[in-house]
Amino acid sequence: MQIRDYILRRLMVLPVLIIGVSIIVFALTRVGGSPIGVYLQTGMTQEEVTELEERFHLDDPLPVQYVYWAGGVLTGELGWSGVAAAPVTDVFLPKLAATMELAISSALVAVVLGVALGTFAGARRNRLPDHLTRVFSISGAAMPLFWFAILLLIVFWVYLGWFPIGRSDPNIYARIDHPTNLYTIDSLLAGDFGAFGDALWHLVLPAATLGYGATAIIARMMRSSLVEELQEDYVDAARAKGLPERLVLRRHARRNALIPTVTVIGLSFGFLLQGSVVAEIIFRWPGLGRWMADSVLRGDQATIMAYVLFTSVLFLVVNLAVDVIYAYLDRRVVLGE
Amino acid sequence: MVDVPAGPAPARITDSAWRVRTRRGGELLMSLLKNPTTVAGLVFIVLLLGMAIFAPLIAEPNTPDAYQMPRDWGALAVPPGSPGHILGTTNVGGDVLYGVVWGARTSLRLSVIVVSLTVLIGVTVGSIAGFRGGKVDEILMRIVDVFLSIPELIFALAIAAVLGPSFRNIILALAVVFWVKYARIMRAQIIHVKENEYVDAARVIGDSPLRIYLKDILPNSITPVVVQATLDMGNIVLVGATLSFIGLSEAGIAEWGVLVSEGQSGISAGRWWSSTFPGMMVFLWALGFNLFGDGLRDVLDPKTESTR
Repeated sequence: MQIRDYILRRLMVLPVLIIGVSIIVFALTRVGGSPIGVYLQTGMTQEEVTELEERFHLDDPLPVQYVYWAGGVLTGELGWSGVAAAPVTDVFLPKLAATMELAISSALVAVVLGVALGTFAGARRNRLPDHLTRVFSISGAAMPLFWFAILLLIVFWVYLGWFPIGRSDPNIYARIDHPTNLYTIDSLLAGDFGAFGDALWHLVLPAATLGYGATAIIARMMRSSLVEELQEDYVDAARAKGLPERLVLRRHARRNALIPTVTVIGLSFGFLLQGSVVAEIIFRWPGLGRWMADSVLRGDQATIMAYVLFTSVLFLVVNLAVDVIYAYLDRRVVLGE
Repeated sequence: MVDVPAGPAPARITDSAWRVRTRRGGELLMSLLKNPTTVAGLVFIVLLLGMAIFAPLIAEPNTPDAYQMPRDWGALAVPPGSPGHILGTTNVGGDVLYGVVWGARTSLRLSVIVVSLTVLIGVTVGSIAGFRGGKVDEILMRIVDVFLSIPELIFALAIAAVLGPSFRNIILALAVVFWVKYARIMRAQIIHVKENEYVDAARVIGDSPLRIYLKDILPNSITPVVVQATLDMGNIVLVGATLSFIGLSEAGIAEWGVLVSEGQSGISAGRWWSSTFPGMMVFLWALGFNLFGDGLRDVLDPKTESTR
């Protein structure tokens, strides 16, 4: 199969999956009973209630209701968020920016650290650094983020006082414009390095929390794929022609080992999205995750549904992109089909 | 391993088959015990299960409901080492040791119920898809794909939110989310196993499809399900505790996530204990099952062993 066909086929499945997810999300809005409750007020007559039901198409059969609902979602009508006291669409972007700034910084740290750690361990297979990395990775998979975050909070905020919580110092926030709502970028655009430092300083603890788990996932994959590559014939050939071990590792084995590691980036991204809910609660980070958590506790259905839909679509798109990149890097994936 | 009776076979053959099985079991155990990390996992699991099973002996059960935290209103937020409260108390006078011990029971209950439910649903769906093939397979697998499109924690969070905050709803939410992996694993296994010659042989001698499935296919395809179930015993407690931490359990139950959440407000005042101990239990629980599950996979699936 050609790569183009592979991509086309994957692209054709994507809308099917998105529709499937939207059906689940729609079903969730109806499991908790009719959504009419949001609009009801005491002392309403039966006629008024019936009129409301007609207005929001709640008297129609469920499939028809779904079509109206999906149409609304597509035109950006995501409903009213009780928690934010504003339409969902109005508050979505700034909160998304906050979450993305956190997720991207964590991802950067995780990729760099994870690849380095995985290489270090894989090149020293079954020696002490390898065992330590294994413990680090498995602990990462078993680590409750909410506990890890609280430990960091206790040590670095309560006792040492090295790092703050929240997203920025209010005075520093007020002194520059925020065109992108990514505070690190905004401060650089304003040429204010003090504000840049403040933004970074606030990022440290939540990014470390999220970064740990993602680093563990990447390190583990990098380690095992490097071990596999080091057993290949081309590595022996490179050694036989007298290439120093350092170059064998850097120019040959590591490069090829990176290819399968690309596949776990999608996995790590899902991890970052989920972890942001917990990290944002604990570090008072005003992003999508904390908004979702508040909405869950206060029954803010519009926000919950928008959040689930959005993260799932994002997750699907990132995974599709990862698979396509992987197919480019390793043609055997496509040819093997 | 499920031991399916081999029908009216001569006693001597059944006997030797049994001996082969026990010998294999013994070898399996030996190779498991060779790996120190697997043994560490096993030790954690045994200790934690012991704590869950003997909870009434370690901490006297609260009446009328032992899964509710007892409240000592005379000792609010006392530090570890206080008389009667070895691990201290929470802001509302809950004994942290009691929560740690009975939380193990809560976690055991949660993981056993959810793993049994999800394995049952997943194996059934996966078996139907793999065994029947065709349109049925296509439709079931698309449903599985859709379920896998929503990140686990977020999916469970949304379901639990819609159902309303309670521990029972957390169990339900996790069951809805976690069955899909088993369906996928089981389907792949069955498609692979049913190509074997012994399956054809069974068909030729006239065995019914159900008998072939139970006797030849299921026992030969269940191994990866066992590995995944072991890992999920840990993962489910991890996700369940996270949901409780966010606030989706009833307040006041003896559950690790709830206790961490209760302790959160005291952290800025330096009261570290009520979050630290229960959170550590979640970590050890998940770590134990992850280490053991990992070792189990190495032993049961030797293909992956070389590079792990």
